Amino acid sequence: MEQEVQIKPPVEVRYRKELEALQASDTGKKPINWKLSPRAVRTFILGSREPLVVNGEEIPVRKKYLGNDALVERCIITLAGNRGLMLVGEPGTAKTMLSELLSAAISGTSTNTIQGTAGTTEDMIKYSWNYALLLAKGPVREALVPSPLYVGMEQGILTRFEEITRTPAEIQDSLISVMSDKVLNVPELGEEGLLFAKAGFNVIGTANTRDKGVNEMSSALKRRFNFETVLPVRDVALEKQIIINEVKELALENQISMPVDEDVAEILAATYHELREGISSMGHRIDKPAAVMSTAEAVSVYYQTMMTAYYYGDSRMDLGCLVQTMMGAVLKENRDDLEKLRSYFQTVVRDKGGREGGIWDSYFEAGKYLK
Amino acid sequence: MGQLLRGGEIPEIDLLDCGKPVLYFPVRHHSPVCSFHLKKAVEACAPDCILVEGPINAQKLIPVLAHPDTKAPVALYYFYRDTRGLVSEEKEDYRCYYPFLDASPELTALREAAGREIPVYFIDLPYGEILIHTGEGQGIRREAEKQTYNDDYLLSRSRYFSMLCEKTGMRSFEELWEKYFEIGGLHESTEAFVRQMFTYCYLSRVNTPAEELEADGCLCRERFMAEQIAKASGEYRRILVVTGGFHTYGLTQLLKVSEDGKRVSFVGEPIKLHGSGARKGARGKSVGQIFGELYGEDENQGVYPLAYSMEAADALNGYASGMQSPGFYQLVYQGLEAQSLEAKSQESKSLESEKLESKSLESEKLESKSLESQKLESKKLKSEKPESEGQEPVRLPEQAYEEAVLQQLVNAGRRARQKGEGLSSYDTICALSMAKGLAVLRGKRAPGLYELRDAALASFVKGEVSLSTDQPLRILDELNTGKQVGKLCETTERPPLLSDFEDKCRRFGLQLQSSAERELTLEPFTKNKHLAMSRFLYQMEFLETQFAVRKKGSDLLNGRDRSRIREIWSYRFSGKVLAALVDVSMAGSTVEEAAKSRLLSKAKKAASCREASRLLVQGFLMGFLEEQHGLEAYVRETLVSDGDFFSLTAGFSYLKMLYELQELYQVNAHAQLEEFLEICFGKIVQLLPSMAEVPEERQQECMECCRELYQMTGHKSFEKLRPPLMEAMLRLAERDKIRPGLYGAVLGLLYGWDGQYSVCIRDAVYGYLKGSGEMRMRSAAFLRGLFYTARDFVFVQEYFLSMVDELLAELSADEFLQLLPELRMAFGYFTPFETDRIAGKAAALHGAEADRILKGRRVPPHAYEYGEFLDTFGRARGQASAGGNGE
Repeated sequence: MEQEVQIKPPVEVRYRKELEALQASDTGKKPINWKLSPRAVRTFILGSREPLVVNGEEIPVRKKYLGNDALVERCIITLAGNRGLMLVGEPGTAKTMLSELLSAAISGTSTNTIQGTAGTTEDMIKYSWNYALLLAKGPVREALVPSPLYVGMEQGILTRFEEITRTPAEIQDSLISVMSDKVLNVPELGEEGLLFAKAGFNVIGTANTRDKGVNEMSSALKRRFNFETVLPVRDVALEKQIIINEVKELALENQISMPVDEDVAEILAATYHELREGISSMGHRIDKPAAVMSTAEAVSVYYQTMMTAYYYGDSRMDLGCLVQTMMGAVLKENRDDLEKLRSYFQTVVRDKGGREGGIWDSYFEAGKYLK
Repeated sequence: MGQLLRGGEIPEIDLLDCGKPVLYFPVRHHSPVCSFHLKKAVEACAPDCILVEGPINAQKLIPVLAHPDTKAPVALYYFYRDTRGLVSEEKEDYRCYYPFLDASPELTALREAAGREIPVYFIDLPYGEILIHTGEGQGIRREAEKQTYNDDYLLSRSRYFSMLCEKTGMRSFEELWEKYFEIGGLHESTEAFVRQMFTYCYLSRVNTPAEELEADGCLCRERFMAEQIAKASGEYRRILVVTGGFHTYGLTQLLKVSEDGKRVSFVGEPIKLHGSGARKGARGKSVGQIFGELYGEDENQGVYPLAYSMEAADALNGYASGMQSPGFYQLVYQGLEAQSLEAKSQESKSLESEKLESKSLESEKLESKSLESQKLESKKLKSEKPESEGQEPVRLPEQAYEEAVLQQLVNAGRRARQKGEGLSSYDTICALSMAKGLAVLRGKRAPGLYELRDAALASFVKGEVSLSTDQPLRILDELNTGKQVGKLCETTERPPLLSDFEDKCRRFGLQLQSSAERELTLEPFTKNKHLAMSRFLYQMEFLETQFAVRKKGSDLLNGRDRSRIREIWSYRFSGKVLAALVDVSMAGSTVEEAAKSRLLSKAKKAASCREASRLLVQGFLMGFLEEQHGLEAYVRETLVSDGDFFSLTAGFSYLKMLYELQELYQVNAHAQLEEFLEICFGKIVQLLPSMAEVPEERQQECMECCRELYQMTGHKSFEKLRPPLMEAMLRLAERDKIRPGLYGAVLGLLYGWDGQYSVCIRDAVYGYLKGSGEMRMRSAAFLRGLFYTARDFVFVQEYFLSMVDELLAELSADEFLQLLPELRMAFGYFTPFETDRIAGKAAALHGAEADRILKGRRVPPHAYEYGEFLDTFGRARGQASAGGNGE
């Protein structure tokens, strides 16, 4: 039977070999119920210079989170402690990826997740009931449908809470007692209704700073978390590397056998970086678009262009197509962004083309598609 | 650490071999761990002389630095005036600081030597010589706001260092240093620590190109230092050399141990000196002479001790000199000191109890046993005692770090609460556990500065890091910098200027105890003491000491707020003020003398009447004008040689102001000011007619000058100057090619002086408006000039408006529109009330009433709507006719 190919396998599946190798070679002290020691978790996320050798096989552990190493270390220590971890930052700064990596390394699963939306209710956070069973057997544990939070407490694993600020404030606050007392009360179950969290349980929340003010967290809840601000990548070379790595992986997963064009990745990284920062490497002051100019967006633009080239073209990156895809990515919220993008091409890209020639020149020509 | 530094060929040199005549202790400036081990090294090696890397011309200040009453932070302040152009052709002045904190190993070396009463000497080149031997923009001559003598940057810039950082995953040199040396080094034996320091510094050095070392002046300094070590080696049996680790290897290569192993000799090429040392024949003298006497001050260079502050030391750190966050490391150092005191007291206690035990054993049973066996026995007995009997667990030195981190977190949390942040004690607990956890994760023996910062960032900041949430981090940064201000011992020899400054401050009741800003309100025109204070503060301001700033009060230099009778000053005492005073200390022994001398030297260089007069104003405010001290000669010379009309007019204005204010400011310089005024005025009158063709862009300025001169001569004391001025103006007005604006302004002034000139004005207006094309265009400029100086002419001379009206009516619409902008400017000089009057009169000329033209008919809403409709309709039609392409 043909093996099923998942679009996006969870982290623990994707990096199963690395996790197993780390577990086999891990000699560090582990907090109770952690799959790996904090040091091994760090190695899993930040990579190792030397490959691990397990049963004679060399298994390289590559760096998965490119950015602030100290932030990753703080996250790991926070999760070993009494407080939850809240990752905040602009969209597309790899908050979710980091929380998945942490969960997979610490608890062996990254799928114990609550997705925060405007429609999230308290029973999605705590528990709900299988009504057929409830009617048949009454309020018994069997009839209870546990939420990811319940599962986390019961099994002593991490629970991820995505986009917490999309959830109404009163719903968010149902976390307070769980976070401080580490106990969840299910009154329907009577005396057996107290669920004490097992060691190893903790919560990783993510919140988008663009949602600030939508459902601002209460200060009581804030006190239960350590906050980590994830900033966009400030280094163009690093951003280029992230684009290359991510695209390579996406291509591999989706069986697209096409090499990554590093020059295209570089101009894409430079474009996104300059539009985000509002200043070019040559010193031009640039109008920043209102749209999110994240590295994740840049990866998606590259990947889409790559797919077009692979399926419809000659497997070579076409700058015209890249510019059109980028336009689609930028023009989400405001029509004015098109004008800003166009003026970026008319000034920065034109000058770079004039100075460096080559691909920048072709990139400038491709600017004609911006309409 | 040993593993980290493994690899490569490291020379096998035992730096602390007590059998050798010279021992080396490599240090990093302000490093607590270096001080910690240095103390142990001094104790173990018992040298009979210590040599420290520091400019040799500060030798006489060592007793001040090592004095028990001197409290760190203190600094040596060096200055050098390159009058002979030895450093560069620009012949600039140079200055630098050499700060000492309690944790600085150099200060530890000085203190240890003082405590043991052994000689201690600085051995580096004098400051001026270092500058001379350093390439432009390199080493101590780097472009920086502040210069420091420290050269730790040498340790952190080599290729080797960046590879190390990459390999160890450290963020910066500082973090690497803290982990492997500051914290890790506490756990090592002194010998092992010194070996590792030497290895790191050696690898840094061999990875730095030789050209860079040469350009930095590093090699010259080492040659000089080695020479001094060799000289001292002849006189002392065992010398301990304390230098920056980067130089240790260089020094060992320049010195050769004699065959008998009792001394070292210098095997390099002696360095050529240009300054005092060379002139006075330093070579061939004994060490005492060289160190003590020859490298003293000369007229071009000097060194002074200053009380310093942690803030200033931290600011210097920006230039890669010494440790960052001195407040944090001070705490660590204090912890280490407390531990060592505790250990000593425990040791002495156990020795005493040991003695007592051995005595009792001796009397009871063991009379025949030798002393050796008694000791063994007592030790055995002691070791058999259970630990619980009052024995405290041994404290590890790195605990000083954990304690410092805890203290900083507690203090930051408390201060943040005081400032309204909602931080609880639980936050502090979480932060400490975070710091400890990070230390374990990062493989550090104890949490350090980086874990402290990370812990505060994770546990104290609630929400996204931004200006509104990062207050706890700012508080922690302040605490890590520290607030301590140093103090010098009473016996410190200081420049007389500093003493004068302090005396005056005491006399005037100005506070110098803290660095907080204070305010002072003075009434110089009613109280003599306040006048003296005001003069003193002006002198301090003039000397650019950053001590005092006048916030409010009469501003004579800019001609503002002349009517104020009070002056509000703010003043603030800091190390910068002292440094600035030291800078100018060569100029005089009192603040007044220094200010006078600077005023004179500025006056000597003054290039224009304006500049010279401004200096006179400053001298006036500082109370110097009454005295004859050469200033007047320079000013006179400048006035006579200045040929710029504008500068002379500005100067005249200043001089006139001073002349009038003499009485108020209790200055009597009548004769002098009168003379200057006369010179100045004579030149103005002479130059005025030639201003007719002043460039267009300076026309307005020229008009202003003329009006000001006219106004100035209107005062009673200067009225005799009015006729010659008006004659000069007349001559100017008679010039053919005079600018129309200036012409209008001058005619207006002439009219103001004598009404008969109204005829000239009338003719001129007629001439311009009736003139040919280009002349007609000048009429508006003429009117602008005229209204600038004599706008009453419009109202006094009834015919004027009707004449202008008639003439304007003759212009074509295009001509009028061309003139309109300048006409608008011309009529802009009138007040709104006057404009109303003119409008009324103009309306009357055309049979209308003033009200009618000023107030239009109300436009009803439907008229606007109709207008909008027409607009839309027109646009739509336009688009339709263009094929619908346009917007």
